[in-house]
Amino acid sequence: MNTFSHLEHKAQLLRRTVLRMCIGAGTGHVTSSFSCVELLVALYYGGILRHDPKNPGWENRDRFILSKGQASPILYAVLCDRGFFPKTWLKTFCKKNGRFGVHLQHDVPGVEVTTGSLGYGLGIGAGMALAARLNRQPFLIFVLLGDGECHEGSVWETAMFAGHQELNNLVAIVDRNWLCATDFTENCVRLNPLERKWRAFGWDVRSIDGHSFPHIFKALSGLRLRERNQPLAIIANTVKGKGIDFMENQPLWHGIAPQGKEAREALACLKKIIRTEKKGENDINYNA
Amino acid sequence: MTSTTMRDAFFDRLYQLAWNDRRIMVVAADMGAPSLDKFRRDLSTQFLNVGIAEQTMVTIATGLALSGKKVYTYAIMPFATLRCYEAIKVNIALMNIAVTIVGVGTGFSYDDSGPTHHSTEDLSVMRALPNMTIYCPSDSLMAARFADLTYNLNSPCYVRLDRKVLPAVDRKDYDLSSGYRFLLNGENGCLLATGNMAPQALKVARKLHQAGIRVSVVDIFRLKPLQEKAFVEIAKKAGWVATLEEHLLAGGLGSAIIELLTDHQLRVPVKRFGVEDRYLYEYGGRNHIQNMCGLSPEVITMEIKKWVKDLRF
Repeated sequence: MNTFSHLEHKAQLLRRTVLRMCIGAGTGHVTSSFSCVELLVALYYGGILRHDPKNPGWENRDRFILSKGQASPILYAVLCDRGFFPKTWLKTFCKKNGRFGVHLQHDVPGVEVTTGSLGYGLGIGAGMALAARLNRQPFLIFVLLGDGECHEGSVWETAMFAGHQELNNLVAIVDRNWLCATDFTENCVRLNPLERKWRAFGWDVRSIDGHSFPHIFKALSGLRLRERNQPLAIIANTVKGKGIDFMENQPLWHGIAPQGKEAREALACLKKIIRTEKKGENDINYNA
Repeated sequence: MTSTTMRDAFFDRLYQLAWNDRRIMVVAADMGAPSLDKFRRDLSTQFLNVGIAEQTMVTIATGLALSGKKVYTYAIMPFATLRCYEAIKVNIALMNIAVTIVGVGTGFSYDDSGPTHHSTEDLSVMRALPNMTIYCPSDSLMAARFADLTYNLNSPCYVRLDRKVLPAVDRKDYDLSSGYRFLLNGENGCLLATGNMAPQALKVARKLHQAGIRVSVVDIFRLKPLQEKAFVEIAKKAGWVATLEEHLLAGGLGSAIIELLTDHQLRVPVKRFGVEDRYLYEYGGRNHIQNMCGLSPEVITMEIKKWVKDLRF
């Protein structure tokens, strides 16, 4: 058992929640959610993101913006598990009279902004970061972007702005799963050298393995003490669909929930992983 | 004030408000104005130039507004609206964020710049956004009052400002909250106009008067929401209505009025004056461009006279 085993276990339980939500709904972006599970677990369970589920509007909370709004199932699962809203809400994902659907909705407790149309989260985050500086407020702003999202010009408009404004309270995490909706990013429109691009726009850049907790914590540690007057970009190399072997790295699994036999296989795949781990106390007992 | 442009009137007033409220911020996409030079100089932390990047103007404004700022975005109208339209939809309208979008350049007011800078579609598309309030002043005195009005709003707003200095239409006091004002009273019909077409409508009314047709002139300065019941009553009383706008006919003021009257099952003849389904590479002044699309007071008067004669009540 290593230091991060409880977080690793939590990540798998959250994957299972997401999978059940999406199977139950017959829709939802499973693979986009699975590439960023460890990143969200580190933020919400690893003491990185200052938040208070009992007071979602707490003025000095850190802001977390999920700019790749299609990965909403994982954020909803996390927020629910943290106690922002009742577990019953997850069961109504994408259903009649439900509280939320495929893309992220700002009126859900714990969600800062509506996303789903890509390329805007970083700009809103930069606006918040600037306001925090003007208001002398100490919180940080985290924005999680997809790498495919980095095809949007608005991302680079903002990257230039944030670099120029030296917004060192802004952290962009790029979920580098190497896939957009229909193809690999490098086949579609090449993003590499991605690190050099962010650096050229005036950002401090760290490249990590986005599924490795030691890597994630190393990259996210000491953020409040950073002396560099630059916003920080973390390029988190990940695997789209991580955890379900037959869905990993497959463009055709974008935006799809497995059904029937494949759903059973996917759940079995996760069950195997979870069984080999120590059963955690924080199992959220969500039965889809 | 009569020799002041609308944007200077608006931003001069906003400058005064901003001295007392540090929450007020102007976010511009590399667009200036004499009044903004002062803003930038004296209130430097409250003025932000994001460069020629309209989507970022909108998203930064959203982030600032979500952090308690009272934000005004500012650019030439096609760029302040169409260029970043979906960003406005998703970030401002959908989340119902109190950001005021200030566009300058109604209709053909960039008369030397060609159709890239003409704004003849903005009203149609901005009107389609739920939660959006739309203002269009007809003179600089009114534009200044809109600074106060928007300062107190808690929802998205779009202010369409003319680039030119327009004559003060009417100095009489009027109720800003109603969204319209009567500039003239007559019993034979009614002209409904917005922005720079309000003074045009007055010219048309005078010409019609010479021909024995006495019409009312209503200046509609809030284009969304419209006071439905009031306009139904106005149309009912007038017997016929003509709408005047320097904007495409598709989806503009005339469309809005027809929709409104139809929704209330009111069968009143409506004649729309605006820009046909076309773009104009025309230069040589605004009057010339207006002439090219039948928006001169002379042509409008002639058309109305002909139309009214054929109307069967």
